[in-house]
Amino acid sequence: MSTTRTITTPRGQRPVTRGRKSFDPVSQGTIPFLIPALVATVGLVLIPVLYTIWLSLTDQDIAGNNSGFVGFENFALMFQNSEFWYSLFVTLQLFIVCLVVETVLGLGLGYLLSRDVPGRAIFQGLLLIPAITASVAVALVWMLIYDPTLGAANQILQAIGLDPVVWLGSREMAPWSIAIVDIWQWTPFMALIISAGIRSLPSEPFEAASIDGAGPVKKAFFVGLPLLRSVLLVAMLLRTVDLIRFFDTIYIMTQGGPVNATNTLNVYGYRAAFIDQEPSYAAALQLSLFALVILIAAIFTFVRKRSTDVE
Amino acid sequence: MSSSTTNRRRAYALTYMGYIVAALIFFVPVLFMLWSAFRSNVDITGSIFNIGTPLTLENFQNLFERFDFIYYIRNSFIIAGGSTILGLILGVPAAYVIARRAIPGIGFTTLLARMAPGVLFVVPFFILSMKIGATSNDALNFAVLIAAHLIITLPLCIWLLIPFYEEIPKSLEEAALIDGCTPRQRFMQVVLPLVTPGISVAVTLSFIFSWNYFLFALALASSNTMPLPVIAFNFIGQGSSDYGGLMAASTLISLPAIILTIVAQRWLVRGLTGGAVK
Repeated sequence: MSTTRTITTPRGQRPVTRGRKSFDPVSQGTIPFLIPALVATVGLVLIPVLYTIWLSLTDQDIAGNNSGFVGFENFALMFQNSEFWYSLFVTLQLFIVCLVVETVLGLGLGYLLSRDVPGRAIFQGLLLIPAITASVAVALVWMLIYDPTLGAANQILQAIGLDPVVWLGSREMAPWSIAIVDIWQWTPFMALIISAGIRSLPSEPFEAASIDGAGPVKKAFFVGLPLLRSVLLVAMLLRTVDLIRFFDTIYIMTQGGPVNATNTLNVYGYRAAFIDQEPSYAAALQLSLFALVILIAAIFTFVRKRSTDVE
Repeated sequence: MSSSTTNRRRAYALTYMGYIVAALIFFVPVLFMLWSAFRSNVDITGSIFNIGTPLTLENFQNLFERFDFIYYIRNSFIIAGGSTILGLILGVPAAYVIARRAIPGIGFTTLLARMAPGVLFVVPFFILSMKIGATSNDALNFAVLIAAHLIITLPLCIWLLIPFYEEIPKSLEEAALIDGCTPRQRFMQVVLPLVTPGISVAVTLSFIFSWNYFLFALALASSNTMPLPVIAFNFIGQGSSDYGGLMAASTLISLPAIILTIVAQRWLVRGLTGGAVK
């Protein structure tokens, strides 16, 4: 290492006023570091999305033979197909049921996890095991639990004198059985975010409410919940994005059946491409799913922005 | 004084009772999976209240002897390992730039990558792999799978690393600048050694997320390149319900994640929320 220090000015130094930040020599010349990741993102994300848009406007088979531009015919077909509307219904049904139950249970469990007791941190970490377990493993163990004859669920029902249930094999029950699995897997995740939110709440509003004579229930509903709003919205947004794209567990447990009862848009989009082998129609489905995700995310962002503007 | 300790004891007791209920709900299915993996198929099809049945390694032996499970474990390692390494090579320098300067549109781009449904990428990747002949060439097929899994590991890697870079005081880089280091030297010799804890977090979480991912391999893998989740899924179709084998396979698939939950739980939430919660 040389002992003489030379003070050099970086190459390409520009006047101080350039850019939004004041002049920062440290970040000069670092842009090339970003380029490989940028190229990868364009190649892996942007091009496939653009390709899907093109696919949805043409007529192509799974082998890649394209018989040309058809305009919005795939979308027209989709909107005329009752399977699409039913799939949209199933998607929203599962989304709403799971989100509401996970939020309510997550609030309860989150409150529990926010209490300061010895062992809290360890317990909280272990609760993430359902969320991090591979969805394939989760689906398989729940298939064993739900098995109509030898499954644990029916054995327990029968032991307490109830009739066995056809969990996955009946149209009426299958969506609820799938919802139970998702609720089981993701409620602790909700609870963890909520408990972090509860722990960061200021104590003054609660003290003020106590002085005004509010009981614990009133404090929770009229002071705690409104203060938690933005944390809750973040947690709900994260679950929403995943719930609308719900795929793995459903595809493994029912493949969308019985008779489309659990055929969410994501499963439908996959089946249209790889089982019915109609990639162009599948592209239209997948884009409508993407539009739905963006729409719901935008609503959440709007609500969140408005609620923070009010504060 | 004594009444406040009894109050605290009562509050502890109530909280722990809640813990027990939560543990019953959220841990029992996982424990049930582990337990069933070590029971014979005869016992699994019997009563679940028969907890005294002997445990056996038979299910695991079957997986390795009859189904050559080690081969699929290897496939999973190639895909998850490859996409993790590539994600790091691309993500580590990129996160540095994003942490140090405001890049317009970067937030939107990552949000888009986070929100896009996986099926959106599957068809383009499938058609690409048909065109380049990756359906019959194992090396090419692995390359396609690794590229597809990069969609998961790259954004994750970037989001996990940004806060680690932000914690490094700029004065260190300024000193290096005065010493005449080029941007590359500053990054390699000054910054990089300081983010090694962040890199180990990114490695673990990227690996697990890629290891667990099902959809891409379901559509894109050939019978020679199938990773664990897909081979386990294919077991279901094989006629008889070999639940013992399925549970043993599920246990092996879940093992890395369960170990991780115990080792790196603090980072898990950040990884799962894509940086939204710290």
